[in-house]
Parts: sequence; C-alpha cells; structure tokens
Amino acid sequence: MEEQQVPKTQKCIAVLWPSFLVAIVATGLFFSAFDPDDLYPFGNTTEVSRLGIYSIGFLCFWLISTLAGVGTLYFAITNCMRRNVGKQD
Amino acid sequence: MTDDPKTPALAGTADEQVSQSLYAKAEKIYPREVHGLFARLRTLGVLGLLGIYYGLPWLQWDGHQALLFDLPARKFHIFFITLWPQDFIYLAALLIIAGLSLFFVTAIAGRIWCGYACPQTVWTEAFLWIERKVEGDRLKQQKLDAQPMNARKFRIKASKHFLWIAFAGWTGFTFVGYFSPITELAQRLLAFNLGPWETFWVVFYGFATYGNAGWMREQVCKYMCPYARFQSAMFDSDTLIISYLPDRGEPRGSRKRSADPTALGIGDCIDCKMCVQVCPTGIDIRDGLQYDCIACSACIDACDDVMDKMGYEKGLIKYTTENAMQGKVVHLVRPRIIIYALILAGIMGLFAYSFVTRVALGLDVIRDRNQLYRETNEGLIENVYTLKILNMDTAAHSYQLEASGIDGLELYKDLGVIKVPAGGVLELPVRLRAEEGALEARSSEVKFYLVASDKPELAAVEDARFLGPSYD
Repeated sequence: MEEQQVPKTQKCIAVLWPSFLVAIVATGLFFSAFDPDDLYPFGNTTEVSRLGIYSIGFLCFWLISTLAGVGTLYFAITNCMRRNVGKQD
Repeated sequence: MTDDPKTPALAGTADEQVSQSLYAKAEKIYPREVHGLFARLRTLGVLGLLGIYYGLPWLQWDGHQALLFDLPARKFHIFFITLWPQDFIYLAALLIIAGLSLFFVTAIAGRIWCGYACPQTVWTEAFLWIERKVEGDRLKQQKLDAQPMNARKFRIKASKHFLWIAFAGWTGFTFVGYFSPITELAQRLLAFNLGPWETFWVVFYGFATYGNAGWMREQVCKYMCPYARFQSAMFDSDTLIISYLPDRGEPRGSRKRSADPTALGIGDCIDCKMCVQVCPTGIDIRDGLQYDCIACSACIDACDDVMDKMGYEKGLIKYTTENAMQGKVVHLVRPRIIIYALILAGIMGLFAYSFVTRVALGLDVIRDRNQLYRETNEGLIENVYTLKILNMDTAAHSYQLEASGIDGLELYKDLGVIKVPAGGVLELPVRLRAEEGALEARSSEVKFYLVASDKPELAAVEDARFLGPSYD
C-alpha cells in the first residue's frame, strides 16, 4: 500500500466510519450500565440534560476510537513505506 | 472481478480497493430510469418502508408513542413492551436475531436485502426520484452537468439541493422523534425552541442522509458497507443470484430487428448496454457476478424490455442459481439452510421464553456509605440501606419486604405500605438491626425479599452485606 495512492477522503472515511460504529456500540453499552444522573464527572454535578450527556458521551467515544483508527492507519502506512524503502535498497 | 465460480460475490481484496480511486474521485453514475416488474416491486418496497419510517413515530399505543426509545426517561417503548436499561440483553438479542435473519435470507435469496430493503437503497431511490423530477432523465442530467455554470443550471441545481436538504431535514427530525416524544418535538420545532442537542442530532442525521443518499450513493455499498464485504460467506451454489446467461447471449452484437441471429452466428444479446445504463452501481452484469452488484434487478427489467421489443424470449438476465445455470438440481433445503434455521429458531425460542418469564420487578440495595454501622441505645447493631424498587410492570403494585440471614434480624422502614406506580422507581431507606452476639463475622450476608402483595410471581431477591464490629 503506497500512501500516495489512497485519497485523503478515503483515509478520513476509513477512520471515521468504523469508529462511528464502534462509538454507537460503546455508548449503548456504557449508558445501559450507567445512568447519567448517577455520574459525577471529576466529582462535580452537572447541569446538562440526559440527552446532552448521552450526546457528549457518544462524541467522546467517537473521538477516542477515531484516535485509535488514526494510529492504526498511521502505522499501517508507515510500515508499508518502510518495507518499500527496504525493497529499493 | 472474480474468476472463482465458487465465490461469485467475493469481497474486493485490499489491492483492488487501493487501485481504484475511491469516494471523491469516482466517476458519477447516472442510472437510467427503469420500468418493469422488479422496478414496481422496489418502488412498492421503498414507499412502504419510507411510510413506516416517517409514520411510525406518530402512532400512539395505550396512551404513549408506540415506538419510542425514550433516552431522556431511560425507557424503551415497543408497542406493548417497555424495556428498561436492565433489559438491555433483550435488545441485544433482538439485534442478534435481526443479524441471523439476514444471514438466513442471504443464504436463500442472495442480496435481496441490498436491492429492496436497505436504507441506503431506499433513500438513494427517493433522492434519485427527486433528482429526475428536477433535472430530467439521464441524458438531460448528463447534458446539464457538462454545461458550464449559468443561471438556468444554477436554478435547477439549487432547486434539487433545496428539495434534498428539506427531505433530509425531515428525515433527521423523524429520527430524533424515535428518541424524544415526537409530538412535543414537533411543537418545539414549530416554536423554534428545539434543545441544542436535539438540533444537533436533527442536523447530524439530516446531513448524513443528504451525504449518503445524495452524494455517496453506490460508493457506500462498494466501500463502506460491512455486509457487502462478508455476504459472500453465506453464498453457495444454490443461492439466488442475478445473472446474465452467456451461453444464450454470446457472441453479442447489434442487429436489425428483422435479422435472424442464428444465420448471423450471434447470440441473443444485442449489446444495447441498457443493462449497464440502468445499473445504480455502474457495473456490467455480463462480466459475471460482482460484489458491486446489489441485486436490485434493474438490469433484468431493462433487458426483458429489450427482449420483448426484439421478439426474443425474456430472461437473458434473470434470477437464477449457479447450479441451475449449470443444469444441476437446485436444492432449497440444504445443510447450510438447516443450520442457519436451527440457530435462528433456537435463539428466537430462548428470547421468547426468557421474555415471557421475565420478572417485571427490579430491586437494588445500596449501603449507606457514610457509616459502616451504628450501635443503638438498646445495644443492637444497625446498618442503613437504600432500596431502589423498580416496577417494570404495566400496573401499580404494593410490595411486602422481608430480610433474613442473621438470627433475630429486625427490619425497619419509614413507609407503612410500599406502593410503586407502573413504570415507577421508589427509593426506600431501610434499617436492619441485629444483636451483636448473633453476628459471626465482621461482615455477614443478608438477603432482602420483595414480593408484590397482589401478584406473588412478581418477586425479587437481592443480597447485601451487614457490617458489625471487628472480632480480631
């Protein structure tokens, strides 16, 4: 896999889309177990509605899984580039 | 795309994906409008499914919205069923049943889900219909896109996008209406008083609809859909597929309607490329079955129409199976189907059994965190708990509470009668007292028993710890 051959849009979607699906599952599991009203983030009570907490939770899960996806993509591409460099030598 | 006849709908390999320019750079496909039996079936499917999607949240049942995943209240209403966060397992089981049903249907009928029922297909059809109404047919669309921007082109494009965005916005609003009561949501929308998160999700889902059905279309199926990648694993030689019959069609070639193909030494395919023009994923079915094919059967309708006009027999492209094409016997019942059916029936049976025998009562015991125990004036050891009683039944109930586990254990509660309305939660502080001599360890196990006075099958037991002084 050479990096130049993969358009940017594809890279973005390849990371954002699976992490979106994972975030849905994670949000469902997490908030089935924990009621937002019982959560005290960093020891504080919040004024945010349940829908707000669910949404923020979902976006946080999405962000975290996106970071993992970016890491995977980065290592996959750089590893391939290293292999290619080795071949040219 | 694949030479292996055993895996006709093989998923694309990594190499293939990279060699194609994806998403943004893909060539725009202008599917030609098609008429015929399967087109009518698909239209029927699209209208029915869209009707269900937009109509269902407005349906009332027993004084509440019939289908409401009420996230703010943490209750899911599915007609006569109310699910609580504790019932999460049932929702997971429903999803597994839906997944297995898809496997089962795929093994028998191929990608029938993709062609008729997938939301991506359904909304793309709706968006294509809007596009045709505004821009005209395939040729007009191609001509318009080839023009440089001018007042007319701008007006047409702006109208299309306005309609698309309006339709997508309505879709987003309906989506949020599944999670927040839709009648109140509509009132707040009309008063321009939607909450910030409701607005966010309407816009988010609307944008996703506009992007997926307006712009991405077949690229979602080709590059983003997980099902498209692994559906070939469910296929075998008896699975229903859409195929061109090369033995009958080849060698292809154009000819006059009056010409006799046998005399010309050509097959039935007149190479009119109608099958390619109607294909929403832009493939040529005559190259063999490909994983890009979403089995929408538009090519069957188009080809049948041409065969009719030529006076040839219909079915040069048709629903068939690999075995049928090779003249072998077609088996509807085969080990794969039996295994899928058994697994599916097993899980459905388990689900039904556990759901019917579900106890609509929840009991949680939370120990008082402020003090481990206290000694009363009478010299008894006292522990304080808060009981969370969740009545998941559709009627109100009164409950009897008992505790056991230590000799001479006494239960004190502030409420005389424990009554919880339907779907209600009661937080009940209770105290347990025991003589110090009856305690054998620093921490003893006690049990709380809760039972509905009028319905003994509604019963719950919950363990808790009773703490006393140290005996070291």
